[in-house]
Amino acid sequence: MIPSIIIYGLVNSVILALIAMGFSLTFGISGVANFAYGGFYILSGFIVWMLLNYLNFPLVLAIIVTIGVVGLLGFVTYWVILLRVRGIPLSEVIATFALGVGILELFRWMGFVTYEFTLPYLKKGTIMIVGVPLDYQRLFIIGIGLGLVLFLYFFTHYTRIGLAFRGIAQNERTAISLGIKSDWTAALSLAFGSAMASVAAIVILPLGIISINTGYEVLLIAVAVGIVGGLESVPGILVASLILGYAQIITGTYFKPEWMMVVYLAAIVLVLAIKPSGLFGKFKELEERV
Amino acid sequence: MKKGIFFGFLVLVFLMSFPFTSHAQLKPGQPIVIGVPTALGSIEGRDGWMAIQMAVEEINAKGGVQVGSTKHKIEAYSIDTREHEPGIPVHDALTAAEKLILEKKPHAIALGNFRSEVLLATMDLISKYKLPYICCIAMTPLLQKKVSEEYDKYKYIFRNCLNAPQLASYLGGVMGFIRKEFGLTNKAYIITQDVLWAKATGQGLQGWLKGNAWEVAAFDTYATGASDFSPSLIKARAQNAQVIVPIFDMPQSGILLKQARAMQIPAMLSGFISPVSCENAWGVFEGEVDGMINMVYEVGPIPVKAVPKSVEFNQNYGKRWGEKARTELSGHGPGPSYDSIYILANAFERAKTVEPDAVVKALEQTDMQGVVGRIRFGKDHQVAYGVDPKETALGVGFQWVKPGKRVVIYPDIVAEGKIQRPAYVK
Repeated sequence: MIPSIIIYGLVNSVILALIAMGFSLTFGISGVANFAYGGFYILSGFIVWMLLNYLNFPLVLAIIVTIGVVGLLGFVTYWVILLRVRGIPLSEVIATFALGVGILELFRWMGFVTYEFTLPYLKKGTIMIVGVPLDYQRLFIIGIGLGLVLFLYFFTHYTRIGLAFRGIAQNERTAISLGIKSDWTAALSLAFGSAMASVAAIVILPLGIISINTGYEVLLIAVAVGIVGGLESVPGILVASLILGYAQIITGTYFKPEWMMVVYLAAIVLVLAIKPSGLFGKFKELEERV
Repeated sequence: MKKGIFFGFLVLVFLMSFPFTSHAQLKPGQPIVIGVPTALGSIEGRDGWMAIQMAVEEINAKGGVQVGSTKHKIEAYSIDTREHEPGIPVHDALTAAEKLILEKKPHAIALGNFRSEVLLATMDLISKYKLPYICCIAMTPLLQKKVSEEYDKYKYIFRNCLNAPQLASYLGGVMGFIRKEFGLTNKAYIITQDVLWAKATGQGLQGWLKGNAWEVAAFDTYATGASDFSPSLIKARAQNAQVIVPIFDMPQSGILLKQARAMQIPAMLSGFISPVSCENAWGVFEGEVDGMINMVYEVGPIPVKAVPKSVEFNQNYGKRWGEKARTELSGHGPGPSYDSIYILANAFERAKTVEPDAVVKALEQTDMQGVVGRIRFGKDHQVAYGVDPKETALGVGFQWVKPGKRVVIYPDIVAEGKIQRPAYVK
């Protein structure tokens, strides 16, 4: 049982990290908590599904188009909705949450509510790892999750846009004084975060079905992982994902599966009580010490 | 003057204390109105509503329902209670139902609640408005308990779909059948959704298994909307469970099946996963349903030769709503929903009125052949389900076999093929 817990705990952790990274990236750079994140996640699933089933796109092309469309949607969201309320956190949350609910409930209204909406595996088949069978799709999830972390690292350290992201994240006013355009950087961060939600959806959703309620769950996961790890910290997201991923599997295996969801909520309460910035968060660290 | 106002106020309060009740007498040409408050976003609710519209059209095409000396057309109106969605409060579903009652002024309610938790709350609403109500989805046995204990209050409520103990009895029968055929005797693993009906079914089955020399390795429940079942599957493998019994109605439950196949769990799956009961499930799940034994709670969505009306219903549904809709028919709800309109029409005719108490008396005397088999209500207002469709209504266990067929294997008396041992079962 231990090897199974280790392997499936890792898969679960990478799933959580994949889900939370896009949310964290946007928040870390622009300070915007994109509560439309779950909507973008489910939208990605349905766009791929429609491209495959209505327009007979090849899978790879459908994936590329979807990531592009959802990324663009994130970009447009900033200019059309967020620009006017930028800097007013409550308004940002309300605006993005309303957008997310709008997307999800639009699909519900359109009748996208049954079990028929599934995405194909990238590759079917199973391999054995220390006597535990693991399907290729979950292997892809681990691979793509690690790949995305490496991509993010190199992107933010060795590209002009990535360096601008970090500049804005570290000190917006100084970055502006050096010629970095704050609004463009924030819009790009929203685009990148949304595109990452899309990548997560495309690799995770084939494990099950595209369910509208998953959109709400994804938002909760992203927020929970972010709060535990530190909303703006990628290393924090990774550590929090490992903690929550394994905590969930262990809870489900040794205690009761219905308590798995409680793990998120308990973690949020615990971290907010002890270290409100999260394990690796820096935003409010000074205030907390004071 | 003050006395006049006070008296007027008293009269107003007196009048308002009488809730709306359906019109006791129909005027010539006035339609009989049937209200359908249910979770239209669920496959069971959606298909049930479509089945009801079909029945209404058929009856109206024949001129309507003979109530006393005049014939009346039926009009059915639905409202979406969304009660199948996680997080929807019971109160919201109740408000939707009451809105329908007040706006459309129905003479009876058909199909009704999806979630048992909502059904129990709705019973008081139905009692307040004195509306004959036929439940076709929600399965809690507490409905019968309440009807039996407070008959005068809850006598308007009937149920013609399967209930949780009856499902447990069927599942037990299938387990006995599996043991007889394959010699699998030691361990079963029950996994249910964390809702009243599913837990009641699981508990009933657990009792049956323990009483029939099975060991129950574990009994796990998952919240509605859960999408990761690996903890239970890891345990099932570690404990060498031979049969996994899933009991779920949420769309996400198909994930359990996919996950079990991906993790190569060497156990038989025998239970109820709602999406897997539909004819198109083989295609949707890319053949991963192969070998699974699933239930169709009430025949109709699966045509069974021993019940000719189930075959007829299945074909007509395809003609009315298209072949795609027919292959998507849910395994729970459509048959009883269709029958519910005929049961009500029949009761109105025999009662010669739409007056609720008279209709209730007529409903209690129902004895007819429907899509689901023979329909007779017990004293607790629950239709009897069994293994012989000539005597009772019928649910069946079927097995998915290559190349994507559902073969009825249980009960013996209506079986249309032999159970096969899937290659992945040790």
